[in-house]
Amino acid sequence: MDTDGLPEMAMMQLSDSAFPAGLFAASNGLEGMFMEKKITTAAELAEFGRACLVQQLGPGDCVILANVIDYSKSRNYAGIAEADAVCTAIRTVKESRDASRMSGVQLARCVGGFCDDEVLGWYLGQIEGGAVSGTYPVSLGICSNALGIEKDRAVIMLLYGFVAGTVGAALRLGIIQHMEGQRIIHDLKPVMGRVAQESAGRGIDEVWQFLPQVEIGQMRHEKLDSRMFIT
Amino acid sequence: MARIPRIGIGGPVGSGKSMLIERFVPVLARDGYRVCIISNDVISKEDADRMRQNLATDRGLLPENMVIGLATGGCPHTAIREDPSMNMAVIEEIERDHPGLDLIIIESGGDNITTTFSPALADYFIYVVDVAGGDKYPRKRGLGIENCDLLVINKTDLAPLVDADLDVMKRDAAEVREGRPFLLTNCKTGEGIGEACGHIVRDVLFDAPPKGAGETA
Repeated sequence: MDTDGLPEMAMMQLSDSAFPAGLFAASNGLEGMFMEKKITTAAELAEFGRACLVQQLGPGDCVILANVIDYSKSRNYAGIAEADAVCTAIRTVKESRDASRMSGVQLARCVGGFCDDEVLGWYLGQIEGGAVSGTYPVSLGICSNALGIEKDRAVIMLLYGFVAGTVGAALRLGIIQHMEGQRIIHDLKPVMGRVAQESAGRGIDEVWQFLPQVEIGQMRHEKLDSRMFIT
Repeated sequence: MARIPRIGIGGPVGSGKSMLIERFVPVLARDGYRVCIISNDVISKEDADRMRQNLATDRGLLPENMVIGLATGGCPHTAIREDPSMNMAVIEEIERDHPGLDLIIIESGGDNITTTFSPALADYFIYVVDVAGGDKYPRKRGLGIENCDLLVINKTDLAPLVDADLDVMKRDAAEVREGRPFLLTNCKTGEGIGEACGHIVRDVLFDAPPKGAGETA
């Protein structure tokens, strides 16, 4: 190892399922699709994951995250605030906006508790004052920069965390068994890699996402009387 | 932003956590305390909806938006212990928007006897078991029964129906609790409710008067 390994360990820390950002309570739209019987098999789950990566996270959250890391390095606070607003705006479903904000704020608070960083301190102050929402991708970008995690690694971390979290939710919903879950994560690795590459170099004004079937499912999900997950 | 005192109420499924809250709130409200309830439901909003209907809509003891239901991703213990961040996020918003509250009650989803609340989340932990689970419960121990601030043995009226011996439960609870408090309650008759609220006012609120004391209605 030609470094002290600290950024790699920070990456493992932030992407650990035990990291207290509340992601365990999110199914990322899966529960809504499951309850409408649109996803009931491992194959359908894998396709759901692929669609989310390609049509939602890659062109949306990954681009935002990468730009926020650049903004953090250059102390471009206006850029960070704009990224936070864009990140909020592309979440058309309230439960998705709320979950992203709650996880993002808790992530920033937790990292701010053990890492002294100027940009992170500024961001926490903006959250406190209500000037920014504290969305998860923006918070993850700022925290990644504070902990020395490189942009390409942070993007992979975001994508992997989404896939692992969704597979975990699928296990709890009884859609798949534990070994099938690891198979799906493995099979989606090339998709994550490609999505990460495609998102590189795009500006905030190129952000998009389009996954209407899942969003409609989430809109129904947030009104359900009986559910396990917040999204 | 001032921290509002918080109590966590945990216990197995069906032990009567929600019903206890429905009995606590009128007593606290009668004495002028303003309360918010966060109900962590494992699968449904039914408990939160019932508490809102009973305590807010029907009786006007608190505003309807002061009963909040929260999904826990199927992991009730995680939501109150290992990763309480979703509860913390809701509490931070409550503290910011409603600084006049005297108390926040956080109800865990039904769980097992190892349930405990993170001290970062709750200042005081009430663990609830019910008689219908069998009179073995106190002596089985577990983190919740042993470590909570107040152990509540609920549904005493069911004891004769399930051949549970309340004297055995009291004896075992006294041994397991090693001098820390425990109570027997019956939500149907109100047995033990006033005493439990006394613990809350004394041990959580430190006998402070309600924040709204002296305000005209």
